[in-house]
Amino acid sequence: MEAPKNELYHPLILQHNQTPWRFEKKPAAALVLTAYNPLCGDKFKLFLDFEGEKVKTAGFHGYGCAVSKASASVLCKKMEGLNRAEIEELLRQFRAQFTDADEANGDEELQAFAVAKEYPGRLTCATLAWDAVGEWING
Amino acid sequence: MNIWDPKRIRAEFPIFQHHPDLIYLDNAATTQKPRSVLDAERDFYERNYANVHRGIYPLAARATQLYEASRQKVAEFINAPKIEDIVFTRGSTEGINLIAQSFLGPTLQAGDDILVSGLEHHSNLLPWQAICQSRGAHLHIIPFFEDGTLDLQYLDKNLGSKTKLLALSHISNSLGTVNPVAEILTMAKAKGVPVVLDAAQSIATHSIDVQAWDLDFLVFSAHKMYGPSGIGVLYGKSEHLKKMPPYQLGGEMIRDVTYEKSLYAAPPKRFEAGTPNAAGAIGLAAAIDFLQKLDRKAIFEQQKILLNYATQALMDIPGLEIYGQAPEKSGIISFALEGIHPHDSATLLGEKEICIRAGQHCTQPVMDFYDIPGTLRVSFAMYNHEAEIDELIQGIAFAKQKLGAI
Repeated sequence: MEAPKNELYHPLILQHNQTPWRFEKKPAAALVLTAYNPLCGDKFKLFLDFEGEKVKTAGFHGYGCAVSKASASVLCKKMEGLNRAEIEELLRQFRAQFTDADEANGDEELQAFAVAKEYPGRLTCATLAWDAVGEWING
Repeated sequence: MNIWDPKRIRAEFPIFQHHPDLIYLDNAATTQKPRSVLDAERDFYERNYANVHRGIYPLAARATQLYEASRQKVAEFINAPKIEDIVFTRGSTEGINLIAQSFLGPTLQAGDDILVSGLEHHSNLLPWQAICQSRGAHLHIIPFFEDGTLDLQYLDKNLGSKTKLLALSHISNSLGTVNPVAEILTMAKAKGVPVVLDAAQSIATHSIDVQAWDLDFLVFSAHKMYGPSGIGVLYGKSEHLKKMPPYQLGGEMIRDVTYEKSLYAAPPKRFEAGTPNAAGAIGLAAAIDFLQKLDRKAIFEQQKILLNYATQALMDIPGLEIYGQAPEKSGIISFALEGIHPHDSATLLGEKEICIRAGQHCTQPVMDFYDIPGTLRVSFAMYNHEAEIDELIQGIAFAKQKLGAI
């Protein structure tokens, strides 16, 4: 599914927006992270539970645009089964596509957001939840 | 009355030559600039530029004369009694901050009251909130009803001997409510309360006479009245301005300076520290000339026609809700689409060269009142016409279809 240039709403983004991954409140989760953009009001809570070193389940809830919601959804889906070092690598791959044109991570759910760099006002939507996880990882 | 033709005036705005298909409906944020304003600024830089109020040579004298002639033009535009009552600022925001610090600053005490309308832009809320907090004064917010009109009974009840100031906008930037300023001023004057009127949203369409309304302070920005950005006006009654200490210290605003102490210049110079935005002031004067050559009543009537046309068309869209339906409204409509975030629809409209605002419009408490994260907002200017509304309606249908809302 190759998105045409300047097409922010990749079909995978629309799909995740409509049917997000584990979109439910889980305040009792082992780790609750907040992703908030005070400029636009988008706000999500991410709920993570662990099994040993690895994330067992990752879900989220809150309010945001299609891009921020879909990117939180993809992030939660991808984090499951990963340990901290692997999550760090996932974050690196996701972010690299916004800065390095040659970076092809081969993952179409991550690549669905690549075009956000053509929309300077919307890049923060794509990275909102990822930045919250990044803050946790970098402690 | 003459009929206003928006399509003809477009020729005066170079942006529409560069972008012939541009549908610009974000005029409450800022308006586009006519050629005469751009030419005036360029001409000043090319032929008459030097620093103002400093040089002795003829070029500097000419620059100073043009800068002060702009002040004169502004004074006439709002019928200020004296040219000295006009202070050039960076915009409405700076004007309000100046009043908070220099007018209220020296006298506001614990237990005093400040009244502010609940419809205000953050720029007409935060300076009052901050100074009230620092002094232990009370900030009273005048509530508004579901339709976006102010609760005047609350206002009347709460104006009292401890009220040091009433601040409100002429027109709400997010809902478009035109506040009944004359009625509100009568209430405030009866209690001897000074009033700050923020005319940022009304100055392009409404004639404002500071003497007829007996205003204490008026602020507005040039960029919302077809003038340049970075320049605005604070009008203050002489009796207030002459008592107020400076807002910023530096060059131009002095009378006598030693290492030990300094005497400050009289208004307006006292409030214009540093090299001013003289080209901006000249651009603002050109914008006033531009407006005064046109039939402003006809422009306002056309905007009412557009408002009704667009309101009707938007209401026909299923799942669309309009916020703010005051009986007196200017050319501003805030609305939301069920199940679609405002930024998503604004992005898709942007791809079709339809420019509308999405978000909180610097009025977060107003959004909180309606319990919504933000709205889409369309706002009209003299160059907008019905066919653009038709394109907007089609664009919204496209966004709804794309984003999968019913």
